Amino acid sequence: MSAPMTARKEERALMRTRTAMTRLGLGLFLLCLALPGAAAAVNQLQCPNDIDKDPAGDFPGPGDIDHNGNGVLDVDPNAVCMWIQGGDGFVRMADGYTIYMFGFSPVPLALPEEQAQSYGALAANAPAPNIFLDEGQELYLNLGNTGFLVRLDVDDAHTVHWHGFPEQSAIHDGVPEVSPAPRIGTIFTYWYQAVRPGTYFYHCHFEAPEHIQLGMIGNLYVRPAQNGTDKEYPTGSGRHYNKFAYNDGDGRTGYNVEAALQVIDFDRYFHDVFMNVQPDPFYNSRSSYPLFNGRGYPDTIDTSPAGIENEVSGFRQPIHSLVEAVKGDRILLRLSNVSTNAHHTVQVLGIPMRVVAKDAKLLRGPTGADMSYMANSITFGGGEAYDVILDTKDVAPGTYFVYSRNLNDLNNYRQARGGLMTEIRVSAP
Amino acid sequence: MDRQAFRFARAALIVAVLAAAGGAAPASAAISGITGTTFNFTARDGFLANPDGSYIYFWGLADDGGTGEVQLPGPTLILSQGTMVTINLTNMLPEPVSLVFPGQEGPTQPVYDANGRLRSLAQEAAPSGGTRTYTFTAGAPGTYYYQSGTHLDKQIPLGLYGAIIVRPPIAGQAYADAATAYDREYLLLLADLDHRLSTAAESGLSFDSTDWIAGYWFINGRSATDTMSEDNVPWLPNQPYGAMVSMHPGETILLRVLNMGRDPHPFHTHGNHVLAVGRDGRLLSTGGAAGADLAEFHFTVPAGSGQTWDGLFTWSADNLGWDVYGHAPGDPMQVGEYAPDHGKAIPTQTPYLTSLQYGDLYSGSPLLGQTGPLPPDHPGLNQTGAFFYMWHSHRENEMTNLNDFPGGMMTMLAIEAPWVPIP
Repeated sequence: MSAPMTARKEERALMRTRTAMTRLGLGLFLLCLALPGAAAAVNQLQCPNDIDKDPAGDFPGPGDIDHNGNGVLDVDPNAVCMWIQGGDGFVRMADGYTIYMFGFSPVPLALPEEQAQSYGALAANAPAPNIFLDEGQELYLNLGNTGFLVRLDVDDAHTVHWHGFPEQSAIHDGVPEVSPAPRIGTIFTYWYQAVRPGTYFYHCHFEAPEHIQLGMIGNLYVRPAQNGTDKEYPTGSGRHYNKFAYNDGDGRTGYNVEAALQVIDFDRYFHDVFMNVQPDPFYNSRSSYPLFNGRGYPDTIDTSPAGIENEVSGFRQPIHSLVEAVKGDRILLRLSNVSTNAHHTVQVLGIPMRVVAKDAKLLRGPTGADMSYMANSITFGGGEAYDVILDTKDVAPGTYFVYSRNLNDLNNYRQARGGLMTEIRVSAP
Repeated sequence: MDRQAFRFARAALIVAVLAAAGGAAPASAAISGITGTTFNFTARDGFLANPDGSYIYFWGLADDGGTGEVQLPGPTLILSQGTMVTINLTNMLPEPVSLVFPGQEGPTQPVYDANGRLRSLAQEAAPSGGTRTYTFTAGAPGTYYYQSGTHLDKQIPLGLYGAIIVRPPIAGQAYADAATAYDREYLLLLADLDHRLSTAAESGLSFDSTDWIAGYWFINGRSATDTMSEDNVPWLPNQPYGAMVSMHPGETILLRVLNMGRDPHPFHTHGNHVLAVGRDGRLLSTGGAAGADLAEFHFTVPAGSGQTWDGLFTWSADNLGWDVYGHAPGDPMQVGEYAPDHGKAIPTQTPYLTSLQYGDLYSGSPLLGQTGPLPPDHPGLNQTGAFFYMWHSHRENEMTNLNDFPGGMMTMLAIEAPWVPIP
């Protein structure tokens, strides 16, 4: 039998295993939920002034409280409430392989808390739900723990680490060794005051090398207060912006189109042996599936609204990475690397690029020196983030590629011409 | 999980014991090392104790004027700018070794074999008792290192290296620039090792370093969670330097991050950004009177192989949005407190004890310097109510000891309440 045939046979066998385990798991899981006293949930969803859990947690509704008795329901327009569940699931890689993962999934705030576990079962998303905030907003981030439908032997907690949050407290830093973390069936609420704009990201920090490799990461950024003001940059150029990467004062980080591109490497071997209840193979972990926002090329440019579907858990990869702009636009790329095992060089082919920020800080010295620079690429390791601005003023309409210059990243496992790549499509004005 | 809890407990126990003894945290504010002008080193082999239970064969340097124990990393040299330094090296290893001093000026006196092939970057000390003397002048202030100049891809990963700190004439500053002043300083020397190289060297076998895959990672010669133990603990006789970092709110600490490994290590500091003011022993400056005008912030310090970074780190709960001391609005201010949040309560509540898992280093209270209720099975290791922050390689795989989490390149920062003394 040829090697590819063998590989396909192995894949079919693995898929049978997965399907069987999933059925078994679902049965046991729902049984646990049905048993009185089992997996007793002590949930406590916390949203600001909003105990009715209306879908938009920050708007008044029946059940909201007038704390100070002034006749007006207390609603803080700056408060954002989110609910995510941590659990397991499956996603489809661009070569068609359905891979097991841990991940976060979004939950509507109106969902009764006792339904969280069944709602979150096999719902892991790649990547985690986006968290995009405006400077000055507060975020109540409720994290529930669904449990692990396929790995019923695992009783791990989860956390949220807002990576790079400056001046953080310990209790909301999301490191389980030094703070509380929700057990299965429970909820813990993180709170953040987003006062420093920039590109961050978030991930689970519970047994971090394992939970991150398995997929518990997501995009997170804070838009600056300068947004909404009109600035011309450069002065006299006639180019005006009202959206900016940072509070730059003069509009130099102004942009028309933005996209967050998050890099993670899925190690197929790691995911497969983990699903099959084997010890974690951290040593020599390699990237089989280098991904932008949970997908390899060409899935990165699939803009269908529901996203990519897998045969086990449905549509769990909702975020595409296709960037569309009109000639003359400036494009802000918010790049982050959350790989557990590799550095990456991400290159932009054909559009002039300026690196304006690193690690959520404008590249500007303590006395105002401009440290931004022109480049075609950035090289970063896990845990680093860059903001780059692409200027399409002087380029022809067409398709431009953003891709990894670590050339073996351009594969979806054994399938060539894929991997860490996406497209920027510039149309004529 | 059980083993993980045990390991954190073991490291954290020291925090608790010291706290009970005198309210002290395990870190010392000064960098351990040796000073002077003449140093006598012996290159020897030995074994590193790893938290995963293994003993790892290594080559290191011993300070003959100190304990005489071979150690990883080699003795840290703390020098005043302009010092003429002499190192007398005795080699007890089975092959020639030498020392070079990257960042210090001057040629290295290479050695070639009979066929004209380079054998060593610097003059060697012969095996099994040979000696050689090296001299250099400690140049500009900053963080540097020494390392083997012979068979680099074998001898450096095996452990023939150590840090050099060159101090400017003004005490309490990293550089001549006053903007680099600090209250405390810490050295975090990062390193990696392919254990197969170690095994081969122990058996006198060769190892193909093109096949390098690191399996162990170190900070100051120790893998987590031993990184959090004190300097000179008796159970780590060949790894004398701890890597625990402690500070009070409002203080500025200087971090000397030095990557002696083969691989780049993105080093992530929870809690706040690092303001990098120097790299490879040079102020990040356009020059002259401009000072550190090219200083840059990182939440992950991109420590490339052989690079050194000098960075400043502060923390005061600035703009956190709630009062970490739990003050009522009329209470007096704490030293170093962020005033605008004075008296503001934490906006969230902590659910019932039974619904949460509590880390061994959680005090039971979200407030700084306070403790609170914890489940009966909790070890209660954080007696001072410190805020702990994990500092680690964000190539997360490197937080393991050969497949075992937690481990590797990871340590903690403890922010202690102002009234808790830090030695």
